[in-house]
Amino acid sequence: MNKDIIVGFIHFFVIAAFQVFILDGVHLLGYINPLIYLWFILMLPTNTPKWAVLLLSFSMGFVVDIFAGYIGFHCAVLTFIGFIRPLFINIFFSGKEIESNLRPSIAEMGLSTFLPYLAFLVFIHHFLYFSFEIFSFSEFFKTLLRIFLSSITTILLILLFDFLFFRKRK
Amino acid sequence: MRNLLRFLKRYYYIFLFILLEGISFYIISQNSYYQGSAITTFANEIAGKISTKTQNISHYFTLGSSNESLAKENARLRSKIENSYVKYQHKAFQYNDTIYKQQFEYIDAKVIQKTINKRNNYFILNKGSIHGVKNNMGVIGPDGIVGVIINVSQNFSLVMSVLHQDSRPNIKNARTKISGTLVWEGGNYSKGKLIDIPSSIPLKIGDTIITSGFSQDFPEGISVGKITNFQKDKGTGFYVVDIKFSVDYNKLEFVYIVKNFFKEEQQQLTKDIKNE
Repeated sequence: MNKDIIVGFIHFFVIAAFQVFILDGVHLLGYINPLIYLWFILMLPTNTPKWAVLLLSFSMGFVVDIFAGYIGFHCAVLTFIGFIRPLFINIFFSGKEIESNLRPSIAEMGLSTFLPYLAFLVFIHHFLYFSFEIFSFSEFFKTLLRIFLSSITTILLILLFDFLFFRKRK
Repeated sequence: MRNLLRFLKRYYYIFLFILLEGISFYIISQNSYYQGSAITTFANEIAGKISTKTQNISHYFTLGSSNESLAKENARLRSKIENSYVKYQHKAFQYNDTIYKQQFEYIDAKVIQKTINKRNNYFILNKGSIHGVKNNMGVIGPDGIVGVIINVSQNFSLVMSVLHQDSRPNIKNARTKISGTLVWEGGNYSKGKLIDIPSSIPLKIGDTIITSGFSQDFPEGISVGKITNFQKDKGTGFYVVDIKFSVDYNKLEFVYIVKNFFKEEQQQLTKDIKNE
């Protein structure tokens, strides 16, 4: 358990730093803004207490907010993702997977179980984030394009990093 | 009492969620109603301190291009100083210091954190209130317009760049002197749009766009960009103009914060009008 907490902290700082210092400064076609920081919430082990997930979502959002210049957006959206995460875990994972406290990843669950869970939550997050950011219907189709392209990029990035960095726990 | 405890124990998760969301929305509302809210100032200071460290590293990657743009600016300024002009009229010349009064002063600063891929983009600069920076001061780069200061902490300041949906600096065409407004519609960070330019006066592709000097934040004649395309909007009688920014916001590193000595006086004038 202690080891999990330390590993969690390392993940927290590495992912936040990657988002803030690398992804926020990269310009891809003008419409793509990958938000990989929500991966941290998605990959918490399935039995993590709900209050911990909520508090972690809030703090992750806050850290990213500090560097983005406008405080509150990432917090609000990511806390919502932390809130609905248990629901999606119940929908997409079997009872055995939930009980054995697995880390949602390709290595632990297989791509066919992990991808729908990842895709749904990433899409909901991007939808809320980008609609919030513009906060009007004036650029409706541009915002939709932005949501769609950014979601796909985020999902591909998460799958890539997941594949590269997480091997099956023995 | 026992029931109440059981109730709280069962639904604490939802209460915690509501509490956290409440905090988030409270912070957002603080940001949007009060410019320079305390929490943004606090965050600004932290982000500035950490980003200064990482910027020291990434600084080296853009050294070439920022040197180039600073050298170009030096050359431009050098061509303007007194001894690069030949005096044609040898009349009696009274040297009088008091006929000129300085209106603008520039504080040099470095960009230490920036975003360019969001719909609303911000920069953090390494100069703050102890260096004399205040809210609503304009920021320009060696190649042109950058943005406006919206929050100042002790050592750092936050800039709303022109790549923002609320940024609407006043600009004019350097050739025809017709003024309009610069907006950014998201997407490509090197392309902007001009609105409110009446279609009665013909434009040319390649016309230079500069700041008009009507807003008190920027001096007149700061470069904004060049016209790449335009078309008439039949409904309104205005042009819709595409421009290419003269500043590469992705590589921007050294900027100047514009301090206008006459700003308060100018604002005082317009304030009296509004009160009538």
